[in-house]
Formats: sequence, structure tokens, C-alpha cells
Amino acid sequence: MKGKEKLLRVIQHLLLIMMCIIAIFPIYWMIISSFKNESEIFTSSFIPLKPTLENYVYAFTEMPIVRMMFNSFVIAILMTSFQLISSILAGYALVRWKFKGSFLIYSLISLTWLIPFQAIMIPNYVLINQMGLNEQLLGVVLPFAVSVFAILSLYQSFQAFPVALIDAARLDGESDFGILVNVILPNIKSTVASLGILLFISGWNEYLWPMLITKKMENSPIQIGLRSFVNSDVNMWGSLMAATTISCLPILIIYLVLQRQVVDSFVRFGIK
Amino acid sequence: MSRLLEDDYQSPLTNETRVTKKVKRKGKRRKTFKPYLYLLPAILFLGVWMYKPLLSTFFLAFQKWSMVPGTIPEPVGLENFLRLFNTKDFPISIENTIFYTIGVLPFSIVIPLILATVTNDMNGKAKNVYRAIFFIPMILAPVTVSAIWRWLFHPTNGLVNNLLLKIGIIDDNIAFFSDPRFAKWLILFMTGWGLIGFSTIIFSAALTNINKDYYEAASLDGATNFNRFIDITLPLLSPTILFMLTMSILFSSQFTFAYIDILTQGGPFGSSTNIYYEMYKYGFSNLNVGLSSAAAMLFFFVFGIITLVLNYVSRKFAFYDN
Repeated sequence: MKGKEKLLRVIQHLLLIMMCIIAIFPIYWMIISSFKNESEIFTSSFIPLKPTLENYVYAFTEMPIVRMMFNSFVIAILMTSFQLISSILAGYALVRWKFKGSFLIYSLISLTWLIPFQAIMIPNYVLINQMGLNEQLLGVVLPFAVSVFAILSLYQSFQAFPVALIDAARLDGESDFGILVNVILPNIKSTVASLGILLFISGWNEYLWPMLITKKMENSPIQIGLRSFVNSDVNMWGSLMAATTISCLPILIIYLVLQRQVVDSFVRFGIK
Repeated sequence: MSRLLEDDYQSPLTNETRVTKKVKRKGKRRKTFKPYLYLLPAILFLGVWMYKPLLSTFFLAFQKWSMVPGTIPEPVGLENFLRLFNTKDFPISIENTIFYTIGVLPFSIVIPLILATVTNDMNGKAKNVYRAIFFIPMILAPVTVSAIWRWLFHPTNGLVNNLLLKIGIIDDNIAFFSDPRFAKWLILFMTGWGLIGFSTIIFSAALTNINKDYYEAASLDGATNFNRFIDITLPLLSPTILFMLTMSILFSSQFTFAYIDILTQGGPFGSSTNIYYEMYKYGFSNLNVGLSSAAAMLFFFVFGIITLVLNYVSRKFAFYDN
């Protein structure tokens, strides 16, 4: 019995290790390819024998990488801030007050899950063009200024907040806005922070919309610049992998540093 | 997510009774518009960027327009819907949408369920390390994933071709992404690769909420691991499984979109396209707004109905442990 159980354990770990390799090998391959020199890049060696930085140098000279990374940061940070502000206010209103139409508003917010972006992209594209925001970062950000996912997540957090604390603050003469800013938010800091991380990652990774809005490399986020590099027929795989590595570096660093929070936030907000 | 739609709305915490009369009267008039004031940014943006365009798409589905500035859409009745079914790649795109939706289920439900159950019995450290690693593909951008896989499966110099040649499984290099036999399977696999970690985490979270007493009682009755999984774990996870099913159906076609666009543009010969990619092509390559909108409306309703049915099934049949 004991031996059989041990064997089962070993098999389980082997299975899991295999899954881990499947999960991270492509990333490993990306990173080592970016350090391989021209003669080594087409071989299957698993470690670069003569690591070189020339791929990175080439990538930086071929593409405005710094500019595109900057655009990506601006887009992701603006999206995250707009989404956090609008959802904090909306979630608070929905939980705090009983008012006419609250159920209708809640339903309208929830039902937007069903609207695929492809079903609204053309009217939005036309509108952005009419506003003259084509090729502008604001044009990329505006349609993503509200995240329904964020509203519903915060709605749940606000609902779990003890009413007694709100009452106490009210008796102390706090205004409604004061209650939100001075009582509730400091207590759910970590929830808001992990939601923020999540929104930042999805803003950073956004694809279809920035592709429609920004055509010139200097105006586009790194994802879209990378897309044209992937699609160009140059056989510069070393530099392409270098550029790809740079593009996901911020996300990987966030994940390494805040791994627990990232996973927790996906669990907390994904399931409830 | 569908569970959020209706059940989760609970009436707000109102505590007016506890407030002194003076404050109440002063607040009364302000209270009537205050909630709307707080909701204004969200409602305004949702209205302008979600509901209004949805309505526009609905009307554009019955019109003919090429998005050229200065031109006006002209009404054509149901012509777009009829044209849709005679469009070359449309039937195959429906077929592939179903292929991707069903094909992704092993990656979003079966494998994660196994991984979550297996890691659940382990001690804290091993469990967290495994789950943290599984999760990494989920946070990568679709462009990143596409670039890496394109390089791995490169027709002449990619690692996969090199290894397959070396082992002797194939005699000639395979151009995976321009071969109709492989393109859509690779796209499916890439999508699944990203989803496994996410679903594993969701199932793990649901598993930790299961009361350990059930398992102990079952052990005393002499149940095997497999019996416990079938009789306890599966029924108690049924709400989560239905949730992941809804998610997969709603989002798998959208997840594949970026891979299709970057790696195959729907080809070769339309073999890897799906309905969302066709909408994009009709609109932005063929500049046929009506056709794109007709397809969008059709599938908005199809997916909407599927979701509502699943939501109903979830409430009716899923087993909740209260």
C-alpha cells in the first residue's frame, strides 16, 4: 500500500513537471533565441554558446522600441486609471443607495459581457475618426475607459464591506464621498491594487482596437509594432525574439514580483 | 460570468432608519440624484462606446455602406443577411467557430480539472509553485505568443521541424501555418495553452472551498480516490464547470482572433478563419460594413441565446452546497 502510494506521487509529479515544461518552454526558447548569434540561431542548441546582444541592438535600431514601449505604458496606465475611477464610483453607487432604476442599470452593466468587441468595432472606429482621434493614444484609450469586469468585481467588494463602519463614519459627519475615500477605499486597498494589476496587464496586451486605430509605428503600442515585425518576411528571428522579449518584460517582471497578488486577483475576480 | 447577470444583484445596504431626522431631510433631495451622479461616468462611457454602437451595428446590418467619408449608408433590407450565406468563407467560418469552441474545452475544463485535483492534495509550497508556473502563459500578449510559436514552428529553421527531422518522424519540413491540415489545430493548441493555467487556478479556488468533512466521511466508507472525485468533487464543482463552459463558449472565438490575424489571416484557403475574423475582414478589408454588421448581429443573438440557456441550466441543475 505504502509503495503504491509513493509510486502514484512520483507519477503525479512527473505529470505536473511535464505540464510546467509545456507552459514555460516556449518562453525559455524566446529568451535564449534572443541571445544567439547569427550562426547559432538556426541550430537547436538549448543554451547560446556565444551569447550576444547584437539582436537587441538591431531591434532597437530597426524599430522605435522606446517610443512604442512608452506608448504602451501610457495606454495601459490611462486605461487602468479610467477604469478604476469609473468602477469605484459606479460600484459604490450601486451598493450604497437604493434608487429608481438601480436594477435596470445593474442589468445593463452586466449584459455588456455578451457584446463582442467585433460587433461594435465599426461604429466605434467611425466615431473615433469623426472625433479626429485616429493615430492618437487617447483614441485607443477612450472606448476602454470603463471595464464592466471592474465594476462587477468592486460591486462585490463593496457589498462585503461592514455596514457598521459606514454608519459610524456617517455619525462622525463624513460626507458620502468622504466615506468612500476615507473609510472604504483604505480598507480595500489590496483588492483595488490587485484589480489594478489585472487591468494593467489586459491594457498592455490589448490587440484588435489599437491595431485599428494606430497605423504608424511611432503612434502604436509595442504589440502592434511587433505585429508588423512578425508579419514582415525578414528572416531576423534573433532580433524578433529580442523585441518580443522586451515587449513582455514589464508583464513578466510584474508577475515575478507580485505573483501571489496576480494569481489571487484572477481567482478572486474570475470566479465570483 | 453569466451567474453575475441576475442572481448576484442584492438590494443595496440601506440604513436610513438609523440616521437622525435632520440629516435625513437634508439628504433627501440630494439623494435622488446622487447615485446617478456617481454612476454618470460609467453609464456615459458604456452608452457611448457599447450600447450606442451596438444599436448602430443593428441598423447598419440592413444597410449598404463602405465607410468612405462623405457617403451615406443606403437601406437594402435583408440583402446583407441573404448575401452572408452565399459568401465563400462564411460556412467554413461557422464550422471553425464550432471547432474552436468545442476544441478548447479539454484545455479549459478537462485538463485543468485534473491538474487542480492533483495539486490540491499536495502541500502548500509545491502546490503554489506548480500553479504559479501553469499560469504564466495566460498573462502573455497574443502577439508575443504568436511570435514565439511562429518561430518554434518555422518551416525551415524552426525547432519543431528540426527535432522531427532528427528523430525521423518526417522526411520533409512542414510549413505548419500554411498547411490546411495543421493551421487550425496549431491555433487551437496555442489558445488552449494560454487557458490551462487560468482554468486550473479557478478550479483550485473552487476546490479549496469544498468542505473536507465530505472526503473524510467518504474515506471512512472505503471510497477510492476515483470514487471520491466522481461522487463528491464533480457535483460540488458543477457550478464552476458550467461557469467555465460559458466562458469558453463566449470567449474562445475572441481569443483565437489575434492568433488567426497574426499567423494565418484566416488561411490557407479559409481553413483557419472564424466568425469574428470574417466580421473584421468584411468590415476592414472588403469595406462592406453591412455584411460585417449582419454577421455581428446574427452571432450576437446566437451567443446570447446560448449564454442564457447555460445560465438557466446552471441555476436549475448545478449542485450548490449550502
